[in-house]
Amino acid sequence: MTVSDQAVELRLPALAITQSPGRVLYQFAVDGKLLDDFATVSRIRRDDESAVQGYQRPESLQHITAIRKYIESDAPMIPNGIVIAFDDRVRFEPSVKSDTYSVPGEIVIPVDVSEAPELRPGWIVDGQQRTAAIRDANVSQFPIPVTAFITANEEEQREQFILVNSTKPLPRSLIYELIPGTTGMLPPSLARRKISAELLDLLNWDSESPFHWRIQTPTNPEGVIKDNSILRMLDNSIIEGYLYNFRDPVDGTGDLEAMATVVNDYWTAVSLVFPGDWNSTPRKSRLVHGAGIVAMGFLMDAMCDRLRDENRLNVDGFLAEVSLIADSCAWSSGEWELASGTKRKWNDFQNTSKDIQILANHVLAAYRNSRRTR
Amino acid sequence: MRFFFPDSQDQVDPMFDFVTEEHPVHRIRQRDDRYAHEVLQHRPFDGLLISKSIVDGHGARTSARYTAGARNRLYRERARRFFRLDEVHRDVLIMGDCGAFTYFNEEEPPYSVAEVLDFYEYCGLDWGVAPDHIVFGFVRDGDPIPDEMISEWERRLDITLNNARLFLDEVSRRNCDIVPIGVAHGWSADSYAQSVSDLQDLGYVKIAMGGMVPLRSNDIVSSLEASSGVRKPETELHLLGITRVDEMRRFAQHGVTSFDSTSPFRQAFKDDTDNYYTLDSTYVAIKVPQVDGNASLKRQIKAGKVDQRAAILAERSCLEGLRAYDAGELPVEQALQRVLDYEDLVGVKKTREAEYLRTLSARPWKDCGCGICEEAGIEVIMFRGSERNKRRGFHNLAVFRDRISRNGFHSLQTTGEHT
Repeated sequence: MTVSDQAVELRLPALAITQSPGRVLYQFAVDGKLLDDFATVSRIRRDDESAVQGYQRPESLQHITAIRKYIESDAPMIPNGIVIAFDDRVRFEPSVKSDTYSVPGEIVIPVDVSEAPELRPGWIVDGQQRTAAIRDANVSQFPIPVTAFITANEEEQREQFILVNSTKPLPRSLIYELIPGTTGMLPPSLARRKISAELLDLLNWDSESPFHWRIQTPTNPEGVIKDNSILRMLDNSIIEGYLYNFRDPVDGTGDLEAMATVVNDYWTAVSLVFPGDWNSTPRKSRLVHGAGIVAMGFLMDAMCDRLRDENRLNVDGFLAEVSLIADSCAWSSGEWELASGTKRKWNDFQNTSKDIQILANHVLAAYRNSRRTR
Repeated sequence: MRFFFPDSQDQVDPMFDFVTEEHPVHRIRQRDDRYAHEVLQHRPFDGLLISKSIVDGHGARTSARYTAGARNRLYRERARRFFRLDEVHRDVLIMGDCGAFTYFNEEEPPYSVAEVLDFYEYCGLDWGVAPDHIVFGFVRDGDPIPDEMISEWERRLDITLNNARLFLDEVSRRNCDIVPIGVAHGWSADSYAQSVSDLQDLGYVKIAMGGMVPLRSNDIVSSLEASSGVRKPETELHLLGITRVDEMRRFAQHGVTSFDSTSPFRQAFKDDTDNYYTLDSTYVAIKVPQVDGNASLKRQIKAGKVDQRAAILAERSCLEGLRAYDAGELPVEQALQRVLDYEDLVGVKKTREAEYLRTLSARPWKDCGCGICEEAGIEVIMFRGSERNKRRGFHNLAVFRDRISRNGFHSLQTTGEHT
């Protein structure tokens, strides 16, 4: 068999869209399993003269795995297409004569799989991970929309690559606020945080909760306590603390009502023991600052097992326990007298893991000592 | 002879999928993971050793292996429950020390005596080691003692002895039921003996011999011999960080009743060649680095020197080949060839062809009943990622336990064969 015998033409229904003078985009669908046959990912490297050739980064296998699992799920949908730059071996044949901006026809792609990848007519500008995921997925086919342009000019291709890949990712806060309303499959890193995001949602909208409208999220900018502080506090307890008990280890869901009850009871007690500090802002009170929220979260876990065993796991029980450390706190004025003998001004705690740890150790030690001497 | 295993939060995820290389999406570390005593057929140790430096860290905090959440839970639940030794392994002794190796470079130990005892009390430990400071150096009989070192050595001995005194006072002042252990340090057989004698004078009946890790076995024995001259009959010695099973009989003759070591575990992924233990030998593990996890391979891919697609395919072919060999579907030469092809692509300084052939031909995992090998099969012999490497480490602990038993020490409580 000769090389030319293996060369075939792939003809696909396509739409030519004239977007600006001389700039034409082609839109079509193709089985993602075929992409490798006519398109390649050009990776950045140095050629023999040390000039930079190509322009792509290596695949991120973790990211690919997440997409692959999604493609293998029940009814996957990937609306955003792959962007391919074709060289001038690819052509478009209109099926009607038209002078509007959108013309139907066929895109004609020469396919020769015996050629080295870098000699293939298409270069993938955007969608490298999706392409790899479709290639690896255990499905027989997966049609994917493609937006293509034809140019023999590599600089033009690079320009598109940079434009496409310099977009800003969504802010984390917005993602976390969107999670609770999402029922579909989430990537693993977000799936793990779904439960704390849902719990945060519950605390913020529940009129009985001390957190009612007080957690700052993209849709509740008036809140004073940062959503990220609350998420950290909840995550800590779900992973290492009392809330772990309400988690289903198989699917990662949890009994949200039961979790919210414990959290609300504890923080209600905190708000009653420190009313002024609680109703303040992070700038004026370290209690509602990230350091205070996370440190006091650890104290909640320290109290829960004991109160449960004593059948006092309610607001009154927490109230009695939290009162024990009231004198050791300086949330909005004065000084913290730390166990090491050092003192710190009330606001000398930043939202760093080191400071949070010092503050947490302080409140936990105060709690332990007051129980010992009582 | 009691064997203590130093904790470094080493666990395996029983739900880890070797084929997809994935953990369950909702896995929570430590709580969903399993310790050696939970996955091995027989518990491999008599005791656990917990170091304050591993739990709390110090200074630059580089040594802490615990998250703040895990540390707080350890204090809250106390060590026995945290390590899940509260139901089936209640007889495991839990001992604490400061991890003097992590701060040997510093002027003084970073913890006060009170802080250390707080730590032992929070954790609810059975035995507690007084805060010590390691002396680095050993001078044999007749060798000249270097003048420039002696004052530093003496300074460190003073710190250690003074802490031992304060520690004992603090234990009795607080009236806690931790068994206090003093640490003997020295730079010669005689100075070790002097330390033992000083600690006994303070009232210690359990003494840990520290700073002996770099010493030759004969130097350890000569120090123990010298100590025998002053050692009271009731005094029991612990060797900190010493494995040397073959020497255990000699050590025991001089009052050693316990020791600790991570080396059977760590050799699984730190040693050049002795990665997989059997009762009479060791085997090298087969390196199959992860394309996505190997830093130097990643760099080469980024630089365009290695084709990522080719690397992924070679890695897969290598894994599939090893599994097919294990299932009896591929001859050893072909499985080995795939390993070597991948080795070529990754680029290694020196091929391990001969050692790999020895490992693969012997298939030592096939007739091992440790509890790990039956489950993991050939995966246990692959040098790749922590799930496989730690499983191999746990297997080594099981074999190590058997080696101790074979040497005539039958004190391990769970073997059912102790005398």
